[in-house]
Amino acid sequence: MRDAFGHDVRLALDAIWKVLLVSVILGAGLPALFALSIRSLASGRMVIGRVAAGVLLLIVVYAVVSGLLFIVASGQGKDISFAHVIPQISAAS
Amino acid sequence: MSAETLALVLVVVTALGFDFTNGFHDTGNAMAASIATGALKPRVAVALSAVMNLLGAFLSVAVALTVTNAVVKTFDTHATSAHAALTMSGDRLLEITLAGLIGGIVWNLLTWLLGLPSSSSHALLGGLIGATIVSQGWEGVNWVGDGTKLDGVVGKILLPGVASPIVAAIVASIGTFAIFRIVAGLALKRVNRGFRWGQVCTASLVSLAHGTNDAQKTMGVITLALIATGHWDHLDAVPFWVKLVCAIAIAAGTYLGGWRIIRTLGKGLVDIEPRQGVAVDASTATVILASSHLGFALSTTHVASGSIVGAGIGKPGAQVRWSTARRMVAAWLLTVPAAAIVGGTMWIVGHLFGLGVGSILEFLCLLAVAVYLYRRSRHETVGASNVADAWEIDQAAPNVPADLVSGGQR
Repeated sequence: MRDAFGHDVRLALDAIWKVLLVSVILGAGLPALFALSIRSLASGRMVIGRVAAGVLLLIVVYAVVSGLLFIVASGQGKDISFAHVIPQISAAS
Repeated sequence: MSAETLALVLVVVTALGFDFTNGFHDTGNAMAASIATGALKPRVAVALSAVMNLLGAFLSVAVALTVTNAVVKTFDTHATSAHAALTMSGDRLLEITLAGLIGGIVWNLLTWLLGLPSSSSHALLGGLIGATIVSQGWEGVNWVGDGTKLDGVVGKILLPGVASPIVAAIVASIGTFAIFRIVAGLALKRVNRGFRWGQVCTASLVSLAHGTNDAQKTMGVITLALIATGHWDHLDAVPFWVKLVCAIAIAAGTYLGGWRIIRTLGKGLVDIEPRQGVAVDASTATVILASSHLGFALSTTHVASGSIVGAGIGKPGAQVRWSTARRMVAAWLLTVPAAAIVGGTMWIVGHLFGLGVGSILEFLCLLAVAVYLYRRSRHETVGASNVADAWEIDQAAPNVPADLVSGGQR
């Protein structure tokens, strides 16, 4: 029982740092990009500002749509890969 | 009607009741921030969340039959047929399930009355643990798993419960800090409109993820009861009517809106503004999705609460009401033991009178407690009209009857 407890702690720590890493990059990074796009939209330079805002916003929308696809795919019991930019759904491994 | 059928019907009804409480208990996880910042009107927010939960519940084809197995040794996953896989008799399983569900509901209702967000899954699992301890003994509970994957009370409840609010708080505080630095000096009015939009999108994602995860748990419990009574024999599928009623129950609960809990989360911890709201919802969504991808079972409630605290830490000069946070953490620590005590007691009541009469008695106990707590809640109501009112400085809990809040530093 003691052993199994140690296993659980190790497995949990292994998962936790991954969750933390991914979440800091996406969960804090994307809002920052979103804020940047709002900033560039509000900047005085109209054309450059709008283009920059559009590009940044596209990245954020891509991430949100990916999140949506991820929920749908895992609800269906399937795997989803983001390796090729366009998310690909496949049967669960 | 045989005693077994009667017990099965009561288990199904009680499970749906749990699903309903699960809905309104967790509305705030996705929507508290949007309501507090005014991104969505309260009624619109709960309606949106309800629709997302309904969709989410239907999306989930993958089955959470293993939800009970995480803490109770209910079946052997290597068996070939569903019925043969059960490790205990069907009647025994029904007794444990009914008592466990009641433990979960009672804790959900009590914490709702007190306006405290707490994990509905932990409440359900706690109730089941209590019923299992008195029925099967200490050994019947899966405490630590077998060491090959995160499992058991430690791997599925304790460790994620400690880690997830901290992770969410770190992410949301970094996000908030970055946003404030980036948009510093811009006209607030214009900025806020953009951030409110961002909030609505991320909050919808959180609701959808909630629907896929939480409705599944009740579907798993009902299907398990059907297997126990020989009405179903698949370990990898759920009858369609079960899916339908579970989806409706969780969506209806969500639409009711757990206003007391929304108020605590949205106003009681931190005074959130739109810039923080985006950081909160983005953090909650990513932490939930990243963890479910890695098989780390965490509670939406803990993540959402952690994110809101993080938004308070990350905003320069902001204040976190730690007294509220302390009350919430105390509730989280008590969830499993308290639900276990109710679940265990209910099991004893049921067992003393036999399956048929016992189940009816348990159900009547649950109704009595539910009616009592509901009547208490009418003394001082929280609803769509006053959910986002300013939080009074020395208010310990939202509109809780004064005699229920005693002592302590507010």
